[in-house]
Amino acid sequence: MIEVVDLHKRYQSGRRMVTALEGISFAVQTGESYIIAGKSGSGKTTLLNCVGGLEKPDQGLIRCDGTDIHRLSRRALARFQRERVGFVFQSGNLLSYLTVRENLAFPLALNGISGLQRKKRIEALLESIELPRLGSAFPSELSGGETQRVAFARAIAHNPAILLADEPTASLDSITGRRLIGLMVSLSRQQQCTLVAASHDPEVIRMADHRFQLKDGRKEI
Amino acid sequence: MKPSFLIQMALLYVLRSWRSTVVIGVMVVSAVAALVFLASLAMGTNDAMIRNSIGLFSGHIAGEDLPEKFPHGRLQIDGVKQVLLRRLFPVRLRQGDRVETLVLFAVSPSEEQEATALWKKTVAGRYLRPNEAAVYLSEPTANSLQAGVGDPVGVYLSPGDPAAELTVCGLYRTGLSNLDYGIGFVPQTTLPLSGATLSAAVFLEDGVDPQTVLETYRRLPDPPRFRTWQEFMPDLHQLIELNFVSMGIVMVLVFGVVSLGISCAFVIFILKNVREHGIMKAMGVFPAESALLILTEVVLLTLAASAVGTGAGALAAAGFARAGIDLTSLTSHNQYFAVSGVIYPRLTFFSLWLPPLLAIVSGALAAVWPSIFVIRQRAADILRSL
Repeated sequence: MIEVVDLHKRYQSGRRMVTALEGISFAVQTGESYIIAGKSGSGKTTLLNCVGGLEKPDQGLIRCDGTDIHRLSRRALARFQRERVGFVFQSGNLLSYLTVRENLAFPLALNGISGLQRKKRIEALLESIELPRLGSAFPSELSGGETQRVAFARAIAHNPAILLADEPTASLDSITGRRLIGLMVSLSRQQQCTLVAASHDPEVIRMADHRFQLKDGRKEI
Repeated sequence: MKPSFLIQMALLYVLRSWRSTVVIGVMVVSAVAALVFLASLAMGTNDAMIRNSIGLFSGHIAGEDLPEKFPHGRLQIDGVKQVLLRRLFPVRLRQGDRVETLVLFAVSPSEEQEATALWKKTVAGRYLRPNEAAVYLSEPTANSLQAGVGDPVGVYLSPGDPAAELTVCGLYRTGLSNLDYGIGFVPQTTLPLSGATLSAAVFLEDGVDPQTVLETYRRLPDPPRFRTWQEFMPDLHQLIELNFVSMGIVMVLVFGVVSLGISCAFVIFILKNVREHGIMKAMGVFPAESALLILTEVVLLTLAASAVGTGAGALAAAGFARAGIDLTSLTSHNQYFAVSGVIYPRLTFFSLWLPPLLAIVSGALAAVWPSIFVIRQRAADILRSL
């Protein structure tokens, strides 16, 4: 279960302070999907970054299964991220010098999965994202949709408890985007994975179990 | 992260960023190769100075005041190329009304010609022949006596003794004051044994440490006084030590300057990859693992480039070691190059390991700042800034 309580975050942008999040609270049960909707600049990425431990909030707390993740040491937070979180970034953020197969191997290796088990898991992931023939391709050789599918496969490779997706369909056409989000929802349900995604695509928003709207860092029902 | 996986990731980055790898590799290879060659050249220069200085007359080890019945065969041990026995006579030489006091060395002309190069410094006449009643003098001594080749000179061993008459067979000039003033040479059988002291000049095989041989000599029963060339030529010893120190400083300075360039290239090489490190951090790579990954990338690249550079430098040194580098025009008036100005670069453990070590250390130092940068930055900040 993810529990976000009274989250505040401000940051410096040039000479002015920008309020990115203001008093955000919500809770997601294990295995549920939750979409944070909102326009560009509404604070969706900052909120996801805070939930994933990539950014520290100024105030408030984020509990994952009872643990306040921002009270963890740097190493413990990194361990939490490698074991329990999968992150799908807006632009995929695949490791550019690794092939698709090596990108998928990365979180598995980090979690100590090696040898035949790793190989089998990678092949299964390639099958599940319908890209079995692109294992040896480099990210620069993939289309936008393929990149996001690989990014998603990498995020769920190590069976994380939490899957965070930051506008995964933003750079995709509507059909490819819907296909990807459908895949994400079904696979995360299959793996009993809590999905928190940011999107402003109404089709995507409709697919989630729960949703809320962010506007200028504030939660709107 | 398992070390094998970490090395695999570092290796993939180095290999797949091949353009940067080639550029940095060429920098490291050329710097290391140049330094390996320079270091071998410095060793070759030192060798040439030693070879010239000891090869002219003195040998690597000098045995002084040897007892008349000293079993000199015992000096011929492993590592010793040749032992030359010489008798020293303090004498007065007279030519007309001119008198010079000097020490005459009674030598075996054939053995001396085999082991030393003094005879090559003949400027008039010729070197000694066995059993002839002749004397081989330095040009300054002959000038003082106003004697020339073929002139007779009287030799007085002690006051009141009758003079032995010897003919000047040749004149030499070395440019070294200890050889050009106060000494002369005669064949061993020319003068009576009485009153002479026996000395030995020990010539060693290439690469044999005089100290090791000296230790063995000192274990002989009733050992006479032995000195290595470092003791009887302290000026040369100091010069060689100075050469080592200055070469070390030059290497560090040269590599300091070169490594600045290499370090900058490394910083760019690593920071080019900072996005990847941000992604890895977001995936839960520990800060220490990030630093280790950066360090491994740099060390792998530097190791490979250093190995190639060391090979290239060693190959160049080996090539010149066969042919030699003739610097006679630059050394002809230098007393430490009295015989030959040809330098043969020599590779040593020092010249082989110091340049690659400097390259690896400077590369590792270049990795420090980017590592700290990656460790301190939050993944979100890195990803947002790109």
